[in-house]
Amino acid sequence: MKERYSRQTLFAPVGEGGQLKIMKKHVLLLGAGALGSANAEALTRAGVGKLTIVDRDYVETSNLQRQQMYTERDVAEKLPKAEAAKRHLLDINHEVEVNAIIMDATAQNLEQLLGDVDLILDATDNFETRMIINDLSQKLHIPWIYGACVGSVGMTLTILPGQTPCLHCLLKAIPIQGMTCDTGGIISPAVTMVVAHQTAEALKILVEDWESVRPALVSFDLWRNQYQTVKLTKAKKKDCLSCGEQRTYPFLTMENATKTAVLCGRDTVQVRPPKPLELQLEKLAKDLDGSGYLVKFNPFLLSCEKAGERIVIFKDGRALIHGTKDMVHAKAAYQSILG
Amino acid sequence: MINVLLFAQLKDELGKETVSIEGNGMSVAQLKGKMKVDFQLEGLETVMTAVNEEFADDDTILSDGDTVAFIPPVSGG
Repeated sequence: MKERYSRQTLFAPVGEGGQLKIMKKHVLLLGAGALGSANAEALTRAGVGKLTIVDRDYVETSNLQRQQMYTERDVAEKLPKAEAAKRHLLDINHEVEVNAIIMDATAQNLEQLLGDVDLILDATDNFETRMIINDLSQKLHIPWIYGACVGSVGMTLTILPGQTPCLHCLLKAIPIQGMTCDTGGIISPAVTMVVAHQTAEALKILVEDWESVRPALVSFDLWRNQYQTVKLTKAKKKDCLSCGEQRTYPFLTMENATKTAVLCGRDTVQVRPPKPLELQLEKLAKDLDGSGYLVKFNPFLLSCEKAGERIVIFKDGRALIHGTKDMVHAKAAYQSILG
Repeated sequence: MINVLLFAQLKDELGKETVSIEGNGMSVAQLKGKMKVDFQLEGLETVMTAVNEEFADDDTILSDGDTVAFIPPVSGG
């Protein structure tokens, strides 16, 4: 075995056999933000065979505080995150096959990428995409690792199809109006802590040490000094529509997807959630105000503005993103506020 | 008494991490309703609940001495 991986193979649960497995595996990483860049670096250093990175965004100055992969030069070049990540990763380990895909992930385009994938790593910033991952994981029998962070808080969960409960068993509906990094801020150790858990789980799965996979949800808060693991022995639901006996994979259908449309001649994109929401506009206004948005609201709608972009959100969750015709950008802006 | 543990922003909303509630025989949903009325806690509908460190549904019945943790799901990344 190569000198390069000698310290990792000395670790008995990996060993030379485990390293050979890692080097044959294909991981799909969805999202190349904070969680994505740290996960990508760890797996690249560990010598994973192939890494596919999917992301819809480009590198901005406000990313640099915590998205460890990126540099000021990436910002100056306005590089897409997937492409910038690929360049840095190949500098770290040119033996890894890195596949950068710049796209807004949907149920349809994501499924086409999963043919020979051994593990899906979640580094997204919204539950809609996670529920799509969750359904695809069940349908195609691919393990995935949920990871999320905001403020000083983080959460992770490993999902093994046919074995553990799935994310849909734990969340009956997609939570609305969760805190996002755009409304609640984020400190870098929350990212690192989530990634430490995700990467450890990923290595267990890649070396096929299934016994060691953590059978629990992890939740922590590094500022309020909390750490909790929640066992899931009774959480798997027989009637779950994603992993149960009569499954329909509901999040793979268009009716459960957020819809976007360019409004004619207005330089505005309308974003519509799958089902009407009941937003608490006053609370949302408070969160956005605290994170640097110029906010106005009344009982019917909220208008917020930052960096020249104005977003109007109606109480039922419909939004108008002004100053753009780019539907992918508009959906990303919407999900950065509402999660 | 039921010991209730509040995580993340819920801890800030209540101003402390734990509270004891008279709730023997209540369901998790009823406890959430009581917490909402007594402490004006928002967003309990979508939190994950653990009873004695085991994931629990809204219809789980609580007994004296149980520890209930309310954990808001996290979305960012």
